[in-house]
Amino acid sequence: MEVGISFPFLAVPPTALFRGEAVLSKGLREAAFRGPHEVLVESILRHLPGAAPSRAYVGNETCERLVPSPRALEAWLSSAAAAGWRVSLVLPPLGREAQERALKSLRVLAEAPGAEVVANDWGTVHRARKRFPDLTIVLGRLTHKMLRDPRLAEYFDSPEAPLAARSALCRSGELAPGFRMLMERYGLGRREIDPYLQPIEETEWEDRTERISVHLPHLFVTMGRSCLPGAMHRERGNRFLPDSPCNSECRRHAIEFQLPEPGGSGEGKRLLALGNAIYHAVAPPVAERILALLPAHRSVDRIVLTLPVTKADPL
Amino acid sequence: MLLENGAGEFYCGFVPPEWNERYGGAFWLNRRGPVAGNLHRREDVALVAERAHVRRVPVFVTFNAPYYTPEQQEFLLPVVEKLSSEASIDGVIVSDLGFLVAVRNAIPDLPVHASSVMATLNPGMVEFLESLGARRVIFPRSLGLSDIAELCEAAGGRLETEAFVLNEGCVFEEGYCMTTHRTAGALCVQLPTVPHRFLPLDGGASSAPGSGAPDDARELMGAFRDWVWFQNGCGNSVTAAGIPNGPCGLCAIHALAGTGVTSLKISGRSASAFRKLASLQMVRAILDLVEKGATREEAARKAEALRDTPAFCGARYMCYYPEGR
Repeated sequence: MEVGISFPFLAVPPTALFRGEAVLSKGLREAAFRGPHEVLVESILRHLPGAAPSRAYVGNETCERLVPSPRALEAWLSSAAAAGWRVSLVLPPLGREAQERALKSLRVLAEAPGAEVVANDWGTVHRARKRFPDLTIVLGRLTHKMLRDPRLAEYFDSPEAPLAARSALCRSGELAPGFRMLMERYGLGRREIDPYLQPIEETEWEDRTERISVHLPHLFVTMGRSCLPGAMHRERGNRFLPDSPCNSECRRHAIEFQLPEPGGSGEGKRLLALGNAIYHAVAPPVAERILALLPAHRSVDRIVLTLPVTKADPL
Repeated sequence: MLLENGAGEFYCGFVPPEWNERYGGAFWLNRRGPVAGNLHRREDVALVAERAHVRRVPVFVTFNAPYYTPEQQEFLLPVVEKLSSEASIDGVIVSDLGFLVAVRNAIPDLPVHASSVMATLNPGMVEFLESLGARRVIFPRSLGLSDIAELCEAAGGRLETEAFVLNEGCVFEEGYCMTTHRTAGALCVQLPTVPHRFLPLDGGASSAPGSGAPDDARELMGAFRDWVWFQNGCGNSVTAAGIPNGPCGLCAIHALAGTGVTSLKISGRSASAFRKLASLQMVRAILDLVEKGATREEAARKAEALRDTPAFCGARYMCYYPEGR
């Protein structure tokens, strides 16, 4: 099982990991990884003994302002190579200008052994394949269309839901012939997922030609083009206007929301605004359930752990 | 009524009873609930198409759920085929890429529009959709005027293009929103009203404006609440004259015309007939003005006068295209 570490808000390679201040040979037992992920890391090591990070996820999956420049990417590639890691460049859904910038970075990436790009829109998949026929392209989890509303998690197992509805909510359209054709046409051999609300049904996850990467511990819920942390420094009337200037508050602050359970029972769900996106940190028993399935799973061969997390993260 | 007031195209939803028998209300066939905003008999769709075609106005049907499972696609393909052959619809609006491919393969003569839920944000996506045989690209609501101009240029007249002009919005990007309004309500509307706290990220300095300062934090969340309110139809309100408040691109119609976009979308197919009519009349009035040669300023002045909500317009959070004002 390959382990990737995602650094969605870091502009430069993390000193502790890549300059020898962290003992990488300790793998996930290294303090830099454990930190607030203590329970999760324990769970990973219990189910996947010997699992150790060997891949850096560079870039942010939701904000095009954080696409690394070619020079920044070179620094990541160099640091990662020195530590024996490989690199995945993560791209968000891209507008025209950002797509042009990203394609310049892909030129650098295409030369690096074992490197890959994680694309989160099909326009970028199309352009990247056209310009770099040999580059490994991974379908990012934002392209994976399934209901991922944590407010409804308990409803998925409700015996009152019609059987066909439960089945449909637990699956996607990706095994349909049209989608399969697209996977083949663009030579896509890997896709990323959040499988936490839906059970890992055999037909949805096993009958695939591509390999699967699973994200931990944050489930992607939604995103916007304007950004709540990014609005901190702006004047009230202009806080959320598009294309407003950004001071990268996302690198320093997150905002946690406590949502009530529908119907008013239970503790509710906590959502985390990270940059311009909303995530849900899945509860330890949910992560545990998924991790327990992975050793015997035919398609999942990579987990991606996101750093940093907030100091108050429950995991 | 809508034809007589200058509608140039229609789109509607169709949900056959068999769909609701299978899925109840748990899985919506399109972006509206199984009852509101949908027709349920093919004959009704045929009647709408027949009446629209008298004035050479096309009718498109939405199959724009974010995804359909393989079994759902097998169920829906014959539904689309019959709508095409027996109800004479002019095309379908689709969000699931695999289903778009399936429809193109099964019914090659039927035009397929790529829904805004596909989130066409860059020229690569326009090129990709063209390669799949899409007839039209509907741009997401979050795009600005310069984005739309660039994508229309990429479409190069080979694909039709469509941009939102009135009535619906969200602070989130619908093509990348994995939530549902069903059962739990709209997440975007809930967020500003629930308890929250600001958290420092590991390794970060806590010196940014607003951090650890309850007054600033309250002010930020107050502004967030305002923004959400404007984007959600100003609390789904209407003016005293019955004009719907909420997301609007009226005063940018002059600029939109300059982008080369070929259709303007008035959303809200589940709205009342009066709301639809009021929306159409406003758009038609400004479009007529622009087509008669009005300047950008004249069109914008007329748009704001029609709305007659200067405070709302001045806030700019209602604007699809604030840069076009």
